[in-house]
Amino acid sequence: MAEPPRTVDHAIDRPPAIAHLGFKAGALLGALVLLMVASVLFLLHARGAFDATQRLVLVADDSEGVVIGMDMTFAGFPIGRVRSVELAQDGKAHINIDVPTKDARWLRESSVFTLVRGLVGGTALRAYSGILTDPPLPPDAVRPVLRGDSTEEIPKLVAAAKDLITNLTALTASQSELSQTLANLRATSERLNGQRGLLGMLFGNERDAQRVVATLERANALLARLDGLTAKADAQLFGAQGVMPEARDTIVQLKALLNQTGASLKKVDAILDDAQAIAGNAKNATDDLGSLRAEVEANLRKIEQMVNELNRKWPFARDVEIKLP
Amino acid sequence: MNLPAGELNPAALLARRFANWLLGWWRIVHIGAVVGVMALSRHSYGRAQRREIARHMVLDTAPVLVWFTLLSSLICMVIARIVVATALSYGLTQYALEMLVRVLVIELIPLTAALFVAVRCTIPHGAEIAVLHQRGVLQAQRARGIDPLRHEVLPRAVAGLFSVALLALLAGVVAMVLAYLVTYGFTTWALAGYTRTVGRVFDRVVVVVFLLKTLFFALAIVLVPLGSALTDDTRSRISAEVRGLVRLFALLLLIEAVSLAANYG
Repeated sequence: MAEPPRTVDHAIDRPPAIAHLGFKAGALLGALVLLMVASVLFLLHARGAFDATQRLVLVADDSEGVVIGMDMTFAGFPIGRVRSVELAQDGKAHINIDVPTKDARWLRESSVFTLVRGLVGGTALRAYSGILTDPPLPPDAVRPVLRGDSTEEIPKLVAAAKDLITNLTALTASQSELSQTLANLRATSERLNGQRGLLGMLFGNERDAQRVVATLERANALLARLDGLTAKADAQLFGAQGVMPEARDTIVQLKALLNQTGASLKKVDAILDDAQAIAGNAKNATDDLGSLRAEVEANLRKIEQMVNELNRKWPFARDVEIKLP
Repeated sequence: MNLPAGELNPAALLARRFANWLLGWWRIVHIGAVVGVMALSRHSYGRAQRREIARHMVLDTAPVLVWFTLLSSLICMVIARIVVATALSYGLTQYALEMLVRVLVIELIPLTAALFVAVRCTIPHGAEIAVLHQRGVLQAQRARGIDPLRHEVLPRAVAGLFSVALLALLAGVVAMVLAYLVTYGFTTWALAGYTRTVGRVFDRVVVVVFLLKTLFFALAIVLVPLGSALTDDTRSRISAEVRGLVRLFALLLLIEAVSLAANYG
């Protein structure tokens, strides 16, 4: 819009004429009214004035940090808004929360409510529903709220830190055991860097360290002698005239002897086989003798029967006289 | 009162200056009350009067509407970007949006709109009235039976109030849209959360303080220059304007301090 010149004299003497003044003023007024109505409606909507809600009362020992209008969240999403906080007759804080009906499905009979106050930021009111198949939370339900306050841990933390610092101070004091240990360690390390090094540090005096060195030297000499002894033993054992070649010859002879003994044993085996066969034959013969004896006995019985028959049939031999009484 | 200042002792001089200061404020308040009563009276809106008010409304508001909206949008974007980037670096993004709405819409926009309208319209209006007053035009009108307050002052005052209201409301809406865009970008998924945040920020107390603050800002920037122009007897026009500016900024500061105390005290 082209702006007319606005000198004072001009404004006073000849007011600038504006084309379509009524329309323009009406448009501006309309814009103002429209913006105001839209803003009011938006704010009412933002504050949940148009949402159907159900009431939930949370009972807390301490409502510190709870402010009107703060959100109650479920899984990070706001599902309710604190409408009022009041001190009830039982001395506990009753936090009245409006939960929109469409979001109330997340709250169940078994839901748990917590009031957590962090070090940074405001207090957070959270709802947890572990079992979503439980019956839904009825309107005007009263539930306890669990309070978790990170700042309540601070005094304990400070006390623990104080104890720790006291112990640390005692540890690092000039007469403390740690300090003395460090002094000893320093003396030890100095001794370690001394002429006798580790031995001097281990024995604490020069004389003992020297004796250990002398012992080591004697051990070295002993080892040298042992070396010579080993060489001689080697010659005795494995030399041309040593024990091992003779032992090898002896073993060869023993092997030949064992072969001969094996042949002899085979012959003995054959003899034993023959003896076993003879014994088998004797057994068979004994069996045959049994049957022969049975046959002889049968024949003898037949002969006896026949003799008896002959005796019975032979008239002369029989006394057939009948003697009468 | 009419003695030269050089003939008074310092205490009396101080008392005289204080009395003048108090009298100046009282006259402004009195004129404000009279103009307020006129503004609420049905007889102030005759046909000619309505036309005069409409003319001032269009002249005061329409030319600055686009410029002010663009300027406030630019400032809002810069501040929003700074706040969001800072909140991101400290890991406090959940508070960034709330802070933006509070800083921009509740604190910054009404003050900016009031200052803009004051510099662009109401202080020049005060100068015009001062010229009319010095030239005796107002007295002549009074002699003719025309009330200069109703004829000259009321249209300018109503136009100033209207201008502050429209600019503050428009810039506030634009600032809220820009805060959302800067924070979330061109997406609609965060609209529900943003609406909720705005609802949380604008609780009853904040809304009342915001409305009262904007109203008192508008009254201050309208009535102080006009009242100063009508009541100041100083012959020097520049001196009267400077005095009016000092009064205006002192009053704006006071209103801002009271509103801050009411919101966060």
